[in-house]
Amino acid sequence: MLSYHLQNALRSLRRNPILTALLVGGIALGISVSTAFVALRHMYQQDFLPGKSHRVLFVRLDSWTTDHAFNPEDPDSVPDQLTYRDARALLRSPVPRHQTPTFITRMFVHPDPKVSRPYQPDVRLCFSDLFDIFGMPFRFGGPWSKEADAKPEQVIVIDDATNQKLFGGGNSVGRTVRLEDRDFRVVGVLAPWRPPLRLFELERNPAGPPEPMYIPFNFVEPLQISSSGNSAGWQGVPIRTFEEWLASESVWVQYWVELPDDAAAGAYSDWLRAYIQEQKKLGRFPRPIRFRITTIAEMVEELHLMPDGVKAMSVVSLLFLAVCSVNLVGILLGKFLARVPEVSVRRALGASRAQIFWQHVIECELIGVLGGALGVLASLGILHLLAQYMRNGEALRLDGEMLLISLFLSLVAGLVAGLYPAWRICSVPPAMQLKVQ
Amino acid sequence: MNIGPIVRAMRHNRTRVVLIVLEIGMTLAIVTNCINVILAEREKMGQPSGFDDDNIVWMLERPFTAEFKDQTFLGNIIPADLRAIAAVPGVRAAGNTSFQLWEGGGSSTRVRALDQKRDPVGTQRYYGTQDVLEALGTRIAEGRGFTEEDFRGPQGEAAAGPVAVISKALADDLFPDGKALGKTIGETASADGALDEPVRVIGVLETFYNPWGIGGGEPNALGFRGMFRPGGVASYARGIPYLIRTEPGAMSSVIAEVEKRLAAANPGRTFEFKRTDEKKERWFAGSKIVVTTMSCIIVALVAVTTLGLLGLTSLAVAERTRQIGTRRALGATRGAILRHFLLENWLLTTAGLLLGVFGAYALNFLLVSRVSDVKMDWRLVVGGMVLLWVSGLLSTVPAALRAATVSPSIATRSV
Repeated sequence: MLSYHLQNALRSLRRNPILTALLVGGIALGISVSTAFVALRHMYQQDFLPGKSHRVLFVRLDSWTTDHAFNPEDPDSVPDQLTYRDARALLRSPVPRHQTPTFITRMFVHPDPKVSRPYQPDVRLCFSDLFDIFGMPFRFGGPWSKEADAKPEQVIVIDDATNQKLFGGGNSVGRTVRLEDRDFRVVGVLAPWRPPLRLFELERNPAGPPEPMYIPFNFVEPLQISSSGNSAGWQGVPIRTFEEWLASESVWVQYWVELPDDAAAGAYSDWLRAYIQEQKKLGRFPRPIRFRITTIAEMVEELHLMPDGVKAMSVVSLLFLAVCSVNLVGILLGKFLARVPEVSVRRALGASRAQIFWQHVIECELIGVLGGALGVLASLGILHLLAQYMRNGEALRLDGEMLLISLFLSLVAGLVAGLYPAWRICSVPPAMQLKVQ
Repeated sequence: MNIGPIVRAMRHNRTRVVLIVLEIGMTLAIVTNCINVILAEREKMGQPSGFDDDNIVWMLERPFTAEFKDQTFLGNIIPADLRAIAAVPGVRAAGNTSFQLWEGGGSSTRVRALDQKRDPVGTQRYYGTQDVLEALGTRIAEGRGFTEEDFRGPQGEAAAGPVAVISKALADDLFPDGKALGKTIGETASADGALDEPVRVIGVLETFYNPWGIGGGEPNALGFRGMFRPGGVASYARGIPYLIRTEPGAMSSVIAEVEKRLAAANPGRTFEFKRTDEKKERWFAGSKIVVTTMSCIIVALVAVTTLGLLGLTSLAVAERTRQIGTRRALGATRGAILRHFLLENWLLTTAGLLLGVFGAYALNFLLVSRVSDVKMDWRLVVGGMVLLWVSGLLSTVPAALRAATVSPSIATRSV
């Protein structure tokens, strides 16, 4: 029955190509705009780590002063990062499956003089767990070992662009990168990877790309590496040495955990609570016990990372689609009602009202889907234009979920446009028209 | 003209009535809200920083040789670099400073006046060498900028005690009586805490705006409050930052020449340049997308609605050809037929616009509760109504004219 209706619909669409073009074009116009801007919004609201988004958590502890909260205007605020000593202590927790403290610094790379002058990229310090937690894809090699974490060994993971720049893009595992005055052995080369947000560190430069280089966290102490990111403190005592800096209450380390299952969140909270209580006995953590373990999606919400304009534009673009479909109601009504004699004959020959109704709804949905397909193609153009103005434009694309949303929108648009005309045409009485003939 | 028959005729064509009212209403609601958002973004983009944005370039020296780890060396290289930069043709002024225009990041603190027990006020805080204000091209409203005297002390501070130049917004927030000059302020966490490093206010900047916050360009209070203190900024780990102000049009040649001369003087460093005009463009890229998109949507929307109305009125005339013929046969003039359709459409458009006004405010409420506080301006609503009144009327004219040409004899024919 469906194929019969489809054939009928196709025939009807072919009969008046100009009208069909107008109808399909109307839907396509609405779908192209709404798909592009819903995709823009989707970029900030997607499932960042499929399958485990709710188990990967950013950890913050309220280690601040009694004088005021981290943000003096918001008494509930907690520091955006951890102190070095807390980051070290949290590593003792047995609850998470994976966990890593992490921060960025800047280090000079001294390449072969024939390849490039020295340059100073961002370098992220982390445990090898970071690669697992964020599911970072490798082109060559892989994360470094637990032994390399512990020792630490002079190993490095570089991104695809760095591999292109330093080694011409080949398999560079085993070769060395000179950072400052030490040689680091390449153990892994990342495949091109550009999430829409800089997931490791959402508080700062959230739309930026992931760092090009990664080395073991335990180099902090032997190499006296300090953060080139944000740091904040409250003690007001001068810090003279690196040891004093590490022991201070300054916060500058991000901390991520991946829990084994949903139930572990409770156990991990208990562990953190116990840790803060234990620290209180040592005179630290003077404020009421407060900590936050938040998913990436919650951080995106809390930090208000989606630009305001994106929400406004997605709402307006959907309304635009609505106006486009409402506009088609009139045209479809005219088209269908011109067919009254034909329908009337078919009704007299035994077609039921439901059949007539479905035939026309299917015709509308066919218009919707055709317009939708065209609209999705056009939206690629709009997205391409948008991407040029955005720092994270590279990550702006239509994924499978987005295509499903577009298909759904096209079907709804087709239905909005065609439901009433189809209902009107199916209520044509069979005999009346015959009488006139 | 008699409205009664028109309204009664509408009752037989409820679909058309509903569609026209709905289309006009939705269009008005969306168009006014789009314009509203555009105006808000425009205002954001037009916010003056108070600095000579078009002619300032930020430069970061990143040293990689061991000598830069020595504090004395670092202290000496800043004046040497500044002299070398100043000698480049096309340079108006240069300063070594932690300040970066249109960056959204930076350094913030809370300050309070010495003789007042009030909650401290949040502000941005930056260090700079003697010519930093000249390099920014900012105007000083009261007092003075930095002089050599302010850098005489052993740590590079003023001999007569540390000083600061603050922005007008900060001065007004700290001293509502308007008398900030000569007062002592200092960093502190609370209304009665001790002042850390108290400084004397020697100057007030007329305009200061450096958007504060992550990503967006939302003007907030912290963006207008700033405090400059005398001091050099240099470290091996974070590099040595400069702001260079050039003569108009000399930017590119200055950048090339500065890099050449400094690299020749000491090759143990790399140089990164960020032009302020390009930074500003990136900063407002999002606003630009919003403005362009919303403008395109407005045009497309009005076009789609006008076409839709054109279609509906044509249908209305086509459906009623025989009735029109009958009326003409019964003595109605062409003008009467024309007036009938125009008036009918005028009534529908007006009804749609009333719905639209309601929708405009409802949508604004929806957007406002999600987006920043952009209140709907009633003048926009009125403007949108006039626009749609005109386009609604225009889209009726072709069909109405066609209706007027229907000949009375049509009534006597059976189609």
